[in-house]
Amino acid sequence: MRTSSIWKAALAGAALLHVAATAHAQGEAKVDEGALKYRQSLMEAVGGDMAALTNILKYGLTVPGAAQVHAEGLASHAKLTTVAFERKVTAGPTDAEPAIWEKPDEFAQSVQKFEAETAKLVDVAKNGDLAALGAQVKATGKSCGSCHDSFRKPKEESFKRKGGGS
Amino acid sequence: MLQASGGCTCHTDVEGGGAPLAGGRPMQTPFGVWYTTNITPDRETGIGAWSDADFLRAMREGRAPDGSAYFPTFPYTSFTGMTDDDLLALKAYLFSLPPERKENRPPDAWPPFSWRISAWAWQLAFFRPERFEPDPAKSASWNRGAYLSTAVAHCGECHTPRNLAGALDRSRWMAGSEDGPEGELAPNITPHDDTGIGRWTTTDLVWFLQTASKPDGDDSTGLMKEVIEEGYTHVPAADLEAIAEYFESLPPIENQLMADDDAEDDGEDEDAP
Repeated sequence: MRTSSIWKAALAGAALLHVAATAHAQGEAKVDEGALKYRQSLMEAVGGDMAALTNILKYGLTVPGAAQVHAEGLASHAKLTTVAFERKVTAGPTDAEPAIWEKPDEFAQSVQKFEAETAKLVDVAKNGDLAALGAQVKATGKSCGSCHDSFRKPKEESFKRKGGGS
Repeated sequence: MLQASGGCTCHTDVEGGGAPLAGGRPMQTPFGVWYTTNITPDRETGIGAWSDADFLRAMREGRAPDGSAYFPTFPYTSFTGMTDDDLLALKAYLFSLPPERKENRPPDAWPPFSWRISAWAWQLAFFRPERFEPDPAKSASWNRGAYLSTAVAHCGECHTPRNLAGALDRSRWMAGSEDGPEGELAPNITPHDDTGIGRWTTTDLVWFLQTASKPDGDDSTGLMKEVIEEGYTHVPAADLEAIAEYFESLPPIENQLMADDDAEDDGEDEDAP
């Protein structure tokens, strides 16, 4: 009798451990999922501001103050890039290259370039000179592109296809 | 002309730090790796000793000055449509550049694909030299756009899927390819709303070819960015509008490209039994 209850207790303990471990793993998976979704929505916000600025230039729009708002949006979002990519998540619907975490110095440099170009963009947007704005939007786009070349998979927008994004 | 053809950036080995247009850039194909050639006017290793006739024959018939056939990694299949005047203008420009001495590298491919005779057989089966013929029923700008897109800018060489023999599948013209050069995916650029660029306006398309910036605020990467920066961005806006007119007139083809996934990022498979 006694031995069998010890066994029962051990079994119950093991089951509890198993449940806890599973819960922990599920918790971790959820954190990964959140990190991944967050950084994708951040990049979409960046894309949205870039698209708005591009439309202003493309169509010569005169929406007072708009260029500055979008430039400031980009500059603030740029500052979130580092923290958004802090957690290494390479599985799941993502186009992030593992190189982000394997070459952290290079990645940090790329992000710094992005921050610097968007900060400059805010100054240029305040001046209201469309030609200068065009040149700086292009420079900003280049900073996006050079980071994407090294750290984003070239398979275009595959995360969207997999249902991870919009 | 050089710029309208995409700056001939395939002939510059950017990653290998090669001199402009001196060749050596690897082109990955399902049949092996081909290295682009030296098209600087160096007389021994480039094309400096070529006559006008040699140049026309290479571009239009895919034949080297010695008569041997080129592999279709060199897109003579598109350039064949170009006019003499445009081809010779291109040659004159290339010959005005500094010569660079650099030997061409043979392909890393398995026989029989590595044999020159295969290129000859391929041409026999899949290639017919053919000038671009304007369509009198269409506008002058449409015809200009069609000529620039199909012959000069050779968009279809990357953006049209190929059959098992590596020939362009013309029934799926510009519908995108998963085996683009350098192993990259070349998107569907037919005006299909969901899988192509049907939601892009003329202004979007012209702007994209000038700046590499897409309507959704994303930037272009890879070879497309290079051909824009070295090429299309320098092309007059009227020509880019003509190219847009041509693409908007194409039959929209539904083709959702599926890039190869690395096994490691197949997150969904975790739910599988």
